[in-house]
Amino acid sequence: MRLRLINTTAFRLSLIYALVFSLISACAFSFIYWKSANEIRAQTDSQLKAETTNLLGLYQNGQITALTQEMNQLNTDGRWKFFIYALLNRSQRDLIKEIEPNRELKVGDRVFATLPLRTFITVPDSDESELNDSNKEQLNQDARVLLTLLPDGFQMVVGSDLYERQALLKRILNVILSLVLVVFTLALFVGALIGYSVLRRINNVRQTAIEIVQGDLSQRMQVTDKNDEFDRLNLVVNTMLSRIEHLMQTMHQVTDNLAHDLRNPLNRLRNRLDVSLIQNLDRAGYQQVQQESIQDIDDIILTFNSLLNIAQAESGKHDRDWVAIDLKPFIEELAELYSIAAEEAGIAFTSSVSQSCLILGENQLLAQTFTNLLDNAMKFTPKGGSIEVSARLAGSSAIIEISDSGPGIPEDKREEVFERFTRLDSARSTPGNGLGLSLVRAVVERHQGSIQLKDNNPGLRVVLKFNIHTPKIKKATSN
Amino acid sequence: MSYTSIMHMLLIEDDTQTASFIQKGLAESGHVADHADNGEDGYHMALTGQYDVLIVDRMLPKKSGLEVIKELREQKIKTPVLILSALGDVDDRVEGLRAGGDDYLVKPYAFSELLARLQALVRRASPAQELTLLRVHDLQMDLIKHSVTRAGQVIHLQPREFTLLEYLMRHADEVVTRTMLLENVWDYHFDPQTNVIDVHISRLRSKIDRDFTPPLLHTVRGAGYSLHAS
Repeated sequence: MRLRLINTTAFRLSLIYALVFSLISACAFSFIYWKSANEIRAQTDSQLKAETTNLLGLYQNGQITALTQEMNQLNTDGRWKFFIYALLNRSQRDLIKEIEPNRELKVGDRVFATLPLRTFITVPDSDESELNDSNKEQLNQDARVLLTLLPDGFQMVVGSDLYERQALLKRILNVILSLVLVVFTLALFVGALIGYSVLRRINNVRQTAIEIVQGDLSQRMQVTDKNDEFDRLNLVVNTMLSRIEHLMQTMHQVTDNLAHDLRNPLNRLRNRLDVSLIQNLDRAGYQQVQQESIQDIDDIILTFNSLLNIAQAESGKHDRDWVAIDLKPFIEELAELYSIAAEEAGIAFTSSVSQSCLILGENQLLAQTFTNLLDNAMKFTPKGGSIEVSARLAGSSAIIEISDSGPGIPEDKREEVFERFTRLDSARSTPGNGLGLSLVRAVVERHQGSIQLKDNNPGLRVVLKFNIHTPKIKKATSN
Repeated sequence: MSYTSIMHMLLIEDDTQTASFIQKGLAESGHVADHADNGEDGYHMALTGQYDVLIVDRMLPKKSGLEVIKELREQKIKTPVLILSALGDVDDRVEGLRAGGDDYLVKPYAFSELLARLQALVRRASPAQELTLLRVHDLQMDLIKHSVTRAGQVIHLQPREFTLLEYLMRHADEVVTRTMLLENVWDYHFDPQTNVIDVHISRLRSKIDRDFTPPLLHTVRGAGYSLHAS
């Protein structure tokens, strides 16, 4: 798991972010540190300057003795512990010369320097042995000093112990370092958390996909209500899965139907041939059996083709062959094809198409749909009856009606007749395989149309409704 | 070319049993069919250009039927091709015709259908200058004036009857099946259950044959129709 987490893109990205972020914050903190160190030094220097100016005022007034007195008092006064004062004779130790060896100094010149305390604080040897280690160490501490050259070879030293300030800066540095460390750790932790949550969602998808691969097509990707990229991806994948599942079901249904409904006629054919082997038939008898067998086979082929057609219509395989079809010539051609047959059968056939209107669809499938309906009408309308085909426009729909004066379909059977292989009792004696209306419905639904069976008093009135198609006029393009 | 003229054809089909049925059937009808059981051999045999018509199965070993046809067309071999296929989709049909096939027959088929289509193909391939006048015995069709006469008498036909008769006259002396008529005259690639074609034929027959002798429009039992004089 840990290895996988490191392998996620999200985690690697967050690691990089953490590094970059830490680096940037380290830079920012360093700047702050540098700035405050400078500020503290400038403040110390200005304080030293002020003190020196104060003391110089005394010196002007009361000569060197007054200065020494004041210094001694200040050095022992607890209030002024912050500053250390000293007066060194140049002959004793020429500090100014040590600090600025190349400069020619005049009386009144000032020099800032950072020196160890012991440079200007003298402790008698006897006392030094009594000092404890921490005090000794304190003597080695740096101090910020302002040296002023006085007449008669005196150098006035006003110093400030830097111990406190350095300790402060050290603390600041420590805080900065720990802050950077905390920032880095937090960024890494948050990154890991994000990486983990992404990984978990991908794992969910993976898990679902594995279950689907193992055969459970009903599984769907988890969709949360966050509506993020994952949800949108999962929604699309789910739509795809639904489509696949639907196609699989259709295929299963077709294979089941084929197995079931081809067995019977195949069995009939087999029996017929078996019997002809046993019987002693003359030449004419054999020919009779052969004719009937060929008829059986043709029926089987017809059933087979019808089932495939239905499956194809349902699967939308022909959707890309859709063209705009003008219903007026389309229906008139079909009507012409059937009107003569109806006339021969003693049926009055009328057709009326009020005006041209376009629908989108697959030409052959739609033509077959209408011939199936017309075949039914022809089959069930008795001699002397009538068949009427009409098409008209109603709003944005084209309504096509095929009415006959046959026995009609009882109201409670009007849904059932669309099921595959449904043959009503009244139709048992007529040829057919019970697939005609199934194809009609599959095609109509594929074309986003609707079909209704109604009473024609007497007879059946089939009402089909399709959306009309308004072709987009292509705008002339300049190029 | 007469109704019974001998056709010399090449059958490219890998199923030997099917091939032998077709060969026997064609021999019965007085035709000669050579057989190749794979696409490669079939292609080389067809390259000679000696056949009147090729019968090509779509799924073949070594070289698919469509490849054979495409390569033959690239080699400028224009022998008409009938594609036999177990794939019966509109798409498959279109694909086959696009590859250079001239007609498409889906398995299983009736032998009479196969024979009729082969004859139609051979007829179509023979040099056919743009005809303006079709004639069968004393029946005449003027394609420019759009008129039909028999023995000098004008016969009035509905537009569809005219197209139907034109197709029959262009395929005179041949057997024309109901499916061929549906496809070529009505452009419907399926068979309605109602005997619509029979009715149209009998209507046409009453117009061109009833008042004349001899009858020209004959029914060929178990196959279709044929327009001829004797």
